[in-house]
Amino acid sequence: MRRFLKQNSLSIVFLLLFLGALAGQAFAGHADLNEQAIQHGDPQMSLSRYVVSSNFAVDVMENWQSEYLQFTLLILLTVWLLQRGSPESKELDKAGRESDQRQRVGAYAQQNSPRWAKVGGIRRTIYENSLVIVMGTIWLGTWFAQSVAGHVQYNSDRLDHHLDTVSWLAYIGKPDFWARTLQNWQSEFLAVGSMAILAVYLRQRGSPESKPVGAPHGATGVEG
Amino acid sequence: MGRRALLAAVLVALPLAACGTGTRERDAAAVAERFHAALERGDGATACEQLSEETASKLEQQEGKPCEQAILTLKLPKGGTAAVRRVEITSAYIGLAEGTADLLDEGPEGWRISAAGCEPGSSSDQPYDCEVEG
Repeated sequence: MRRFLKQNSLSIVFLLLFLGALAGQAFAGHADLNEQAIQHGDPQMSLSRYVVSSNFAVDVMENWQSEYLQFTLLILLTVWLLQRGSPESKELDKAGRESDQRQRVGAYAQQNSPRWAKVGGIRRTIYENSLVIVMGTIWLGTWFAQSVAGHVQYNSDRLDHHLDTVSWLAYIGKPDFWARTLQNWQSEFLAVGSMAILAVYLRQRGSPESKPVGAPHGATGVEG
Repeated sequence: MGRRALLAAVLVALPLAACGTGTRERDAAAVAERFHAALERGDGATACEQLSEETASKLEQQEGKPCEQAILTLKLPKGGTAAVRRVEITSAYIGLAEGTADLLDEGPEGWRISAAGCEPGSSSDQPYDCEVEG
């Protein structure tokens, strides 16, 4: 058990941080909503109602979609794009999908390689791209969920102001949808871009996200 | 284990949320239908019980008489069947087969009408034109 916890501590700690932050968001978001309701003389909402409401869902989904987009793009773009000196980048002569030999697929698969790396055809094509397929699907799914929950919240606000509701298609052309989307995208792109550059010159001893402390600034594709 | 629990929670929560919306649409529609049925019977008191506090008090101020009398003087459908039911979080739109629509808000006492006898504004960004509203 201790060994299991130690060997999986990274995902376990992030799962706990996620659940703690999500619960915190639920409490804070609920308090904020009811504070606004009091200011407007509107009825308050219970916490149990809030956590299944579109108000909460749209706030959660807009952040989820941008995180999954960030990682999908990072995984996909680093196949071809390089950053000299960055541990986020491959070595400068390895841009592209690389040879079967380097990727250890088909005839070059090893005894302990995953089963679908050993076979050919559609199964290998799927497995070769499975990380991007799954991350990209979660991105599109959560972005769609953001649009559905955002649409409900937008229409609720319109009805509160005695305005006619709009269709989902009309909503995804509205500034509300794009403001929510882009305010998250810009921060993710900034974080990834700055990480790629800062890691050229700065170090964190012991972290695989950094180069070894003594590695030269020009060394690319080296992890500590 | 964590992932399975999360998936199970999502699979349980989604249909529950969908069911919840259907029940709430019916509840909101029932309030609107009760309101118009009361007008048909000339029962101003029951009609006013379906209005939000703010809407009833605004009506009394505008008309200078108690809500149960004032509500019977307005041009509102006498009797009505909910033909369009839309619930958006704590707001609802109930379109009547007879033509106009009612807007409702959900509070601790359930759904109450915040505006009745509403027709669309001149454009989508113009508010509804309502016979009574809070």
